[in-house]
Amino acid sequence: MATSAYPPPPPFYRLYKDYEQDPSSAPEPPPPIDGKYEVFGVTREINEVLPSLESQGIRQLYPKGPNIDFKKELRTLNRELQLHILELADILVERPSQYARRVEDISVIFQNLHHLLNSLRPHQARATLIHMLESQIQRRKQAIEDIKQRREEAQKLLGESLLVLDGSQTN
Amino acid sequence: MDIITQLQEQLSEIAMVAVNTFGTLQRDAPPDRLSSSYPDPLNPNPKPEEDAKPQVPAQPGAAPAQVQPPPAPPQPPALDLAEHPKAMSHALVLAAKRFDALVAALPLSSEEDQLKRIQELQAENEIVGLELQKQLEAAELELKQVEVLFNEATDNGINLKKPD
Repeated sequence: MATSAYPPPPPFYRLYKDYEQDPSSAPEPPPPIDGKYEVFGVTREINEVLPSLESQGIRQLYPKGPNIDFKKELRTLNRELQLHILELADILVERPSQYARRVEDISVIFQNLHHLLNSLRPHQARATLIHMLESQIQRRKQAIEDIKQRREEAQKLLGESLLVLDGSQTN
Repeated sequence: MDIITQLQEQLSEIAMVAVNTFGTLQRDAPPDRLSSSYPDPLNPNPKPEEDAKPQVPAQPGAAPAQVQPPPAPPQPPALDLAEHPKAMSHALVLAAKRFDALVAALPLSSEEDQLKRIQELQAENEIVGLELQKQLEAAELELKQVEVLFNEATDNGINLKKPD
């Protein structure tokens, strides 16, 4: 691996010398990677899933199950968070040495909230895909309309020019 | 910014406001009186105050001058102690309300609905793509025909033009 400020290009550029004359003489690009791959010293997966809270050793406060009502759970956790902040304020006034338990509870609530938000990301990805498909369909339809219009204009012009030529021929 | 990132930023803001609240309160808190046997740190010379009041009309010089400086410093923190928590708790509740509003604005739908919609859109995209390709091919064919005709016309024009 080059460590200079201006590294040279990858050495396999020489294999594409005769690409213009004979496209099959140069090697094909490598196939897409499957499974694990390494980037800057970090090994990652193709299908990266969000690790569950239990695997990270954090208590899960919202109910498990196939379908989670995200809005309700987020609102419930928000209320719990506010309550815990108030409790912390009370504890600091009355029994200041017992702050640690409350602070830990608040951090567990925050971690649950962030985990919920992160599990909404796949949904966002699908919504983005839907939006992209819709805009692509829209653009294609627009292109079809444009082509049709241009063809009609061209036909009309050809017809007019034929009339003009015929007119001038009979004259 | 997309709404999930906004929600995450709002969470960070709630955390920041809470931390700042407790931090400033703890930092600016005046010293507390531990027991009645120790002198009160908020009011170090209470006894001269009781004697100073009947003496004020008689001795407006030294005694009132002694009593005035000790009560003066504790006064400014008392104002902050009342206003600060109000402002900061207002900010905390505001941040929490904004979080709730963002949650309400989440455009959620079930996964099956999304997958069904994606399949519908893919099928429609295929159809539209085929139509587009058909139109393109027809247009290119017509373009070639027009080019051929144009070349013929220009050739005839050149050949039939009388040399001057």
